Amino acid sequence: MSPALVLGGGIDALAAAHLLARAGRRVTLLNEGIAERASDAGWVAPPLLRELQLDVRVSRADPWASALLPDGGTLELWQDMARSVEAIRRLSPQDAAKWPDFCQRMAALAGVFEQMYAEPPVNPLDLGLAFRVRRLGRQGMEDLMRLLPMPVAELLDDWFECDALKGALGAMGIVHLQQGPRSAGTAFRLLHHHIGSPPGVFRPPRSDLAARLRAIGGIEIRSAAVARITVRSGRVAGVVLTSGEEVEAELVVSGLDPRRTLLDLADPGWLDPKLARAVGHIRRNGVAARILFRTAEPKSAVLAPSLDYLERAYDEAKYARVSREPYLEARPSEGATEVHFQYAPYRRSDGDWNAARRKELADLARRLLSGLGDAEASVLAPPDLEAREGWPEGQAYHAELALDQALWMRPLPELAQYRTPIEGLWLCGPGTHPGGGIAGAAGYHCARQIALKAADRKGKVTQ
Amino acid sequence: MTEPKASVKRYDAIVIGGGHNGLVCAAYLARAGKRVVVLERRERVGGAAMSEEVFPGFRFSVFSYVVSLLRPEIIRELDLPRHGLHILPLESTLTPLPNGDYLAQWNDHDQNRRELARHSLRDAEAYDEFGLVLHQMARVIKPVLRMAPPDPASLHPRELLDLLKLGRHFRGLRPEQFNALWKLLTMSSADYLAEWFETEALKATKSASGIIGTLLGPRSPGTAYVLLHHYMGELDGVFRAWGFAKGGNGSVSAAIAGAAQAFGAEIRTSAAVSQVLIEGGKAVGAVLEGGEEVRGKIVASSADPRRTFLSLVGEKHLPGEFVQSIRRFKFRGASAKVNLALGELPSFTCMPGAGPHLRGAVSISPSVDYLERAYDDAKYGEVSRRPYMDIVIPSMLDPGMAPPGKHVMSIFVQYAPYHLNGGWTDARREALGDAVLDTLAEYAPNLKSAVLHRQVITPADIERVVGLAEGNIFQGELSLQQMFFLRPAPAWSRYRTPVAGLWQCGSGTHPGGGVMGASGRNAAFQILGRRA
Repeated sequence: MSPALVLGGGIDALAAAHLLARAGRRVTLLNEGIAERASDAGWVAPPLLRELQLDVRVSRADPWASALLPDGGTLELWQDMARSVEAIRRLSPQDAAKWPDFCQRMAALAGVFEQMYAEPPVNPLDLGLAFRVRRLGRQGMEDLMRLLPMPVAELLDDWFECDALKGALGAMGIVHLQQGPRSAGTAFRLLHHHIGSPPGVFRPPRSDLAARLRAIGGIEIRSAAVARITVRSGRVAGVVLTSGEEVEAELVVSGLDPRRTLLDLADPGWLDPKLARAVGHIRRNGVAARILFRTAEPKSAVLAPSLDYLERAYDEAKYARVSREPYLEARPSEGATEVHFQYAPYRRSDGDWNAARRKELADLARRLLSGLGDAEASVLAPPDLEAREGWPEGQAYHAELALDQALWMRPLPELAQYRTPIEGLWLCGPGTHPGGGIAGAAGYHCARQIALKAADRKGKVTQ
Repeated sequence: MTEPKASVKRYDAIVIGGGHNGLVCAAYLARAGKRVVVLERRERVGGAAMSEEVFPGFRFSVFSYVVSLLRPEIIRELDLPRHGLHILPLESTLTPLPNGDYLAQWNDHDQNRRELARHSLRDAEAYDEFGLVLHQMARVIKPVLRMAPPDPASLHPRELLDLLKLGRHFRGLRPEQFNALWKLLTMSSADYLAEWFETEALKATKSASGIIGTLLGPRSPGTAYVLLHHYMGELDGVFRAWGFAKGGNGSVSAAIAGAAQAFGAEIRTSAAVSQVLIEGGKAVGAVLEGGEEVRGKIVASSADPRRTFLSLVGEKHLPGEFVQSIRRFKFRGASAKVNLALGELPSFTCMPGAGPHLRGAVSISPSVDYLERAYDDAKYGEVSRRPYMDIVIPSMLDPGMAPPGKHVMSIFVQYAPYHLNGGWTDARREALGDAVLDTLAEYAPNLKSAVLHRQVITPADIERVVGLAEGNIFQGELSLQQMFFLRPAPAWSRYRTPVAGLWQCGSGTHPGGGVMGASGRNAAFQILGRRA
């Protein structure tokens, strides 16, 4: 089998590289030097673990949310549902009574997605899908049809009255999204992040998948940046590194974002002009900054006191401004505190990101979250995340995960099966199904599609 | 029209509400030989499609003001032109810009292309393809409009058959058609249009049709579909053609009422229904406000779902889950109307004096950000400080609407939220009128001095006068979770209701509002047990 090049250092690229190696290829992973650590957040698809005979340790924060209340208290939501019910009861007995039912309903729906994410994108016109949906029963079907296009705010307002609870849940509907909780399609995002968690837990689990993958070896990892993907007569021929070195390969699997892969690295002239235009329209819209505070004590907190608070934070992002009152989520990370700061747009209406503007983010986070003290802070604004992690426009999921760029539409219907029109060039990053926030599933599906294609061709040859 | 002994007569069908959908439903039932009576609360039929001489000599289409979505099969089957329907096409849309320039869209293809090319050659190139794609999408959707949405969870053979038909319709599409439709259903009009065009005023004016009647902004996902809804306008087989009814939109209702009566339907005005009469779990008639009972084999209500179920039927006759669905059905009216009697024509700075542009629409939508900011105000319960407006001057095409030399101007305004902070008062209503005139005077400085009279209609007024819940012009928001099988409630999208013998035929049912008449027609076919 021909050797393969895998581009990118993300968890999907890593997963794809190991699966290709296991299938008997010589694999070189070209890690751009960005992304020292692949993100380990999100559900790990069981078939990926089976295939690699891996066992990962899944960790879940408990409490999974410590939502800050305007009066200085916190609402803590726990892995143990009964404990959450107790905590909610102090704020709203009515919501506490509804909580278990809500959690069961959401878990049933997340189950549908879990199944869809463990497979390559469904064909929406496939009868199998229709039957699968019908198996949910009347209640589940109604929930699914209503919920999918719904704003997360409408869903939560239907169920609950407690602002802090709705804010903490609503935040999962908008994370890494240039939309507010009142925008249609955000309820789907809440489910997306619910996958892999037990009922009543609405924060993705973390695992040591990246470390385990790195430990198994069997692939060559080179720290090198790709300048160009070379294509000869419609077939991929290899890559040219920024050093000028040429590396030949008949199979190039890119975990980099689809727009960059097809328009910047490969010559867009190889694409049908209509497709090239569509690729140029893949929305990225990075909206979040990451701030690392070197605190002595790692801290966990969610600042999303109400749905209106989140919506107002979004309002400013619509006009390319940083939220004056942003959604913040702090979690322990390598002994320090990592803060997700949303919304901080990639392009600011008031000019470029500079040192003073980065510092403003840290100061604001310090003011809004107590307990960060004067710990040293390093701020990664969206352009920094682009440079460091390879996130286009700072978008962690490479392509905004909205309904029109999800499932069989991710990142575009023509590219959703991981193949590109350039023979031998494949996509395996979070910009493909099922997308970011899910660990390694896109890489797994891509590697499988490549194997199926190879088997298919072999079949034809032996005939 | 009222017969004193009507109460002892037994009808085949009682239609509650004489808006265009109620009248359409009645007309089709009567055409099938049923004995039908329409009960209208007000002293005239028409609901929101109504003309009135608001000021002496000045006639207005008080609420809805253009015709386009009215289904051609209804015009044909009910022979509406014979009953006085005459449509005068609108020729253009002018978007004046703050910098003194303008963007004009003309019905004439070449003229339109030249104008677009003045702003962007790229947009002029893209325009035809865009029109083609939306045209194709509208054709995909059209058969769906005629369908009674099957309940996907049902095991009833008939619904399964319809589900299969629906499936076959979509499976018959090419994948790229299906995907294009999915994009329209899930994207915001701003994002969708940004894929096609670069001229800000063009994107804004087009996206404006995506926000009409809805408390959503151009950047809210789901608004691209409403854009298509407004692209389905179809007059004489020409897509995208909008027009006025001669004599105002009241003539649409009058024509349908005329057709219904010609088929033998009886129409009673000033007959407000206070209650649906239910005996043994079955709807057997309606009780009027005076206490009179009108009995019939079935009852069809064209009132909105909230009024029909929560006030006319009453919760005690309905399953709890259904009541919950109706309670959470979103209305959130967002539109207001300002009607002006003018002593002279407005003169726009960007295109001074009279001209063909005044025979079309004028859209105050200079940029997507402008519309989005207007929405921001409304999102938190305030009237837009600088609203979006869609303006027409019907007297330019139909001189009978105003005294000689004078004119009537109809201004559709967004956003004016029904749930206004502090509630609607007379002062707030006038403040809305002032905001509209102030904004418009920036583009047409002579406007304020030209105004002889003005009428301001808030969503609260629409609710009070026409009866539409929260003043929502579509009898319920056209958002995805309130469409097709979910309109107005899951499992009850086929015009039936949980009460035997009671049907729904208003635009709170599939496919929704916009003076389309499709709900009334679909309901009639379901009642008659026929396929459309």
